[in-house]
Amino acid sequence: MQPKMRHMLLVLSLLFPLFACNAGAEALPAGDEIAHRINARNEGEMVSRLVTMVMTDRGGTERVRETKSFRKYFGKEKRTVIFYLSPANIKDTAFLTYDYPETDRDDDQWLYIPAARKVRRISASDRGDYFLGTDLTYEDIRKEAKVGVEDYSWKTFGEETIDGHRCFLVEEIPVSDKTAKELGYGKVQSWVDAEIWMVRQAKFWDVAGNPLKTTQFMDIKPIQDIWTSHRLISENHKTGHKTEFIFKDVDYSRNVKDELFTEDGLRRGF
Amino acid sequence: MSQSTRPSKAEDFFSWVTGHPKTLVLVGVLLMLSAAAFIPGLTKDTSSDSFIAKDNPARVYRDQMKEVFGLSDPFVIAIINHGPTGVFHPETLQLVQRLTDQVKKIPNVDPDRVVSLATESNIVGTADGMLVSKFFDPLPTTQIQADAIRAAIADFPLYQGSLVARDFTATLIVAEILDEMKSETTYNAFMTLIKDTPQIPGVELHVAGEGAISGYLFNYIDQDASRLNPIVGIVITLVLCIAFRTLWGTLLPNVVVLATVAAAFGTMAAGGVPFYVITNGLASILIGMAVAEPIHVLTHYYGLGRAHPDLSHRDVIVRTMTETWKPLTNTILTTFVGFISLYLSGGMPPMQYFGLFAAIGVMAAWLYGMVFIPAALMLVTFKLSPAIRGEHTPDRYGRAVAALGNFAIRRPRLILAVTLIISIIGGMGAFRLTIDEATIENFQRNEPIYYADKAINQVMDGTNYLDIVIETQIKEGLFNPDYLQRIDALQRFVETLPGVGGTTSVVDYIKQMHRSINENRHEAYRIPDNRDLIAQLFLLYSASGDPTDFEEEIDYDYRRANIRASINTSYYTNNRIVIEKLDQYLAEHFNTSDMTAHLSGRVNVNHHWLKTIATTHFVSEGLALVISWLMAAWLLRSLSAGLFTLVPVFASVLLVYGVMGFSGIWLAVGTSMFAAIATGLSIDFGVHTTQRIRDLMESGTGTFEERMSQLFPSTGRALFFNFAAMSLGFGTLMISVVPPLVRFGGLVTVAMTVSFLASIMVMPAMAKLFRPRFLGFRTLPEEIQQEAHLEPAYSISIVEERK
Repeated sequence: MQPKMRHMLLVLSLLFPLFACNAGAEALPAGDEIAHRINARNEGEMVSRLVTMVMTDRGGTERVRETKSFRKYFGKEKRTVIFYLSPANIKDTAFLTYDYPETDRDDDQWLYIPAARKVRRISASDRGDYFLGTDLTYEDIRKEAKVGVEDYSWKTFGEETIDGHRCFLVEEIPVSDKTAKELGYGKVQSWVDAEIWMVRQAKFWDVAGNPLKTTQFMDIKPIQDIWTSHRLISENHKTGHKTEFIFKDVDYSRNVKDELFTEDGLRRGF
Repeated sequence: MSQSTRPSKAEDFFSWVTGHPKTLVLVGVLLMLSAAAFIPGLTKDTSSDSFIAKDNPARVYRDQMKEVFGLSDPFVIAIINHGPTGVFHPETLQLVQRLTDQVKKIPNVDPDRVVSLATESNIVGTADGMLVSKFFDPLPTTQIQADAIRAAIADFPLYQGSLVARDFTATLIVAEILDEMKSETTYNAFMTLIKDTPQIPGVELHVAGEGAISGYLFNYIDQDASRLNPIVGIVITLVLCIAFRTLWGTLLPNVVVLATVAAAFGTMAAGGVPFYVITNGLASILIGMAVAEPIHVLTHYYGLGRAHPDLSHRDVIVRTMTETWKPLTNTILTTFVGFISLYLSGGMPPMQYFGLFAAIGVMAAWLYGMVFIPAALMLVTFKLSPAIRGEHTPDRYGRAVAALGNFAIRRPRLILAVTLIISIIGGMGAFRLTIDEATIENFQRNEPIYYADKAINQVMDGTNYLDIVIETQIKEGLFNPDYLQRIDALQRFVETLPGVGGTTSVVDYIKQMHRSINENRHEAYRIPDNRDLIAQLFLLYSASGDPTDFEEEIDYDYRRANIRASINTSYYTNNRIVIEKLDQYLAEHFNTSDMTAHLSGRVNVNHHWLKTIATTHFVSEGLALVISWLMAAWLLRSLSAGLFTLVPVFASVLLVYGVMGFSGIWLAVGTSMFAAIATGLSIDFGVHTTQRIRDLMESGTGTFEERMSQLFPSTGRALFFNFAAMSLGFGTLMISVVPPLVRFGGLVTVAMTVSFLASIMVMPAMAKLFRPRFLGFRTLPEEIQQEAHLEPAYSISIVEERK
């Protein structure tokens, strides 16, 4: 081989991965598009389910709480109620929340304390506050399987396979320091299933850039044609605290009565 | 020393050494370099925990509880405003917000574990519910808003004294860090933040907290030691220069110094032993000790060379070594024993290792003195030392020493009377000795951190934490209202103890939560009497709290709880009272088979290692004395001679105790090591004097005074330079900025001075007065006869004494 030729081949071989990369990047959907497709998914008008919450501290001690949970849309307003079934000392405690579509309107929350026979209205939580002793924030819970399109700038930067499913790798950076502070996240990376547009895994960093937590959405299967995760694990890397949600008896078709989402409903139980 | 016709083993050995000078010098240099090669691998252990053994039950328990409750030693920024509104002024509160935001961005700070008025929420009960809102929502811009926050704090007992001063003049930003080993850099970042923050008139900013103190302490001492050690080296070189006024007389002892330092720190690095805070003092001590032996060797060498110009250079060296190896080996062995006893006394690990590596250094100094110095001398041509003019024509130093010594043997009773009086005063001082320690007292009073600590502890409940861990036998045991009542009573008791500003436990939160579901009524600030309600209150709290919010107060299955008492002083003497009274209360009023309490936390751990100071000190000193005595007795083949060598040790240690007692210097971490070190160093003076008196009494001629007149200009002069090198070396520590180093340097200097004076004044005076046979004094009838012939006046005094 001529030295010149060899030289050219060498240059080409060095450049090739670059071309390959660019070609791949063009094929990936834009970050915003992915976010919109996630949020366009059907999540049902109402749902009832048994939720087991297993919280584990870094020493390995567990707290297991069985709950029955209902969610229903009233127009664009989302109402959720959680009834605690066990352990015995918090049985019948119930938590109700109204999540309004208006961004400037705070949520309303109530807790029924059976030992005091009182329903107490609780002031709205911040988006970054943790939800009932779990590793998920109120914003995480509120969004369920959806994402905050307007809170982050979205960027797709690759593809990876999670449990045999092709996923787009998306990076989300909060749009402002204020939003980052509200959410408690400085950066998020999500692995979004390329077929069913569900997040299968998300990694979170705190506002100072330290790794914060990893959340995995597992056991995803269709229930009444709605793709539903039946197991969620969120692990905080700083505190070593871990939360597992196990969803059972998920039902999108069963009618959920409006009365459940009232103060009286909290007292009466489901 | 007598010369036998047949070469002794020592002579053989030193002939061999001087026969292979190049090889031995080369081996010496290579050994030194290879030991030094390990030094860059030295690791640091700056933590307070390094003072307590890893397997000490107090530390093990604290570490377990640290794991359960996630407790750490935090960094604290105090914002102090002595103005009429205190910190509740819009501008000051905005500063709190700004600083909190910036602290969260400091590398190594856990942004989720930064607590301040800007991060905390107010929990109040309303007519139909409970309002949880940030104190700074919105960030106050008017005095009315600032006043509202003050009113909220005034109605929220949990934050009073811990987050906001009870008189509202101060508030804290408390930050936990991720990696304690990086606390030094973190402290610097905090200080830069404070420096770069625009000043607000009337507002003071301070950085303190146990994390900051221990983080900064090492840096503080380290910087100081790196400044001082070269000065010690220069001072000692100057002393050598004056003592010998020759190039090699100045350089060779410095090589021994380098070898000693390399051996000690090289083996430390190779053995994986970390460099502790107190290891900083080791270099100065090694420098001071390593020159002692070469001073004696070279004094003898130059003296011999001048007295015997007929001898070959090699003969001068061999004879020097043959005549000096024994007393030098003896002194090295006794010093070695002093340090080893520090190691064997089983005290705090940093002190044990201090003793061990000082002992290794001493052995290296001995080896280099015995082999390297004679070999190296062989490689240079002999040059008379202008400073050493022999025993009969002493220089001004020799004359000065002789004047002191001659005065002592002329007035032995006076000397002994003075010694006795000083000893009694020293003994009285010893009874006034106090054992105390406070980390903050390691800093000078004009250091920002010292002022910060005092300022914060004056207005807040305290930044020194004592943890009381409550354990019940069953899961969710702490939902039991009776148990909570007992914990509450315990907290009230703890708050009566000296220095305790306040206590916090989960009980306080339960009361606050109970009040908040009862329309914020004051009478509802109590422990509910329903187990289930307590469980439900925790669930209620979790509606707005972090999953690990109660981590510091209660464990995950509600079996163990922690009461944190804030104490405004770290003084051992204060906290000992707190711990002793608390132990008594727990035993008599609290502990039962179903619920027990144990002490933990920084204050308790520090108490446990500090209380060993006294025992460690007296055990190591006792060991040093006994072993040194036995060693000296064995070397001199006489128990009494061994005891006699301890005269400078007793004198110096007793006087130093006196100085400490009367001047209020504590027996603390740094100062507690002085006795064992002083023993190791002082006994050298005793051994040299004893050995020389004995030699002169056995081999010399003339009266005691005549014989002594040979001792003072030679051995006495060498002892003087030995004393000068060491006391100037240690004395340099007195210009340190670190108070314990100043005190340590001062005390050892006093000990060296006393030892020197004791060896050239008290010991000859005692010898004259008591005429001990172990020093070679003959039986009285023989001597009277001999001395009557030689010295009628003296014999009369002896006869009178006999009467």
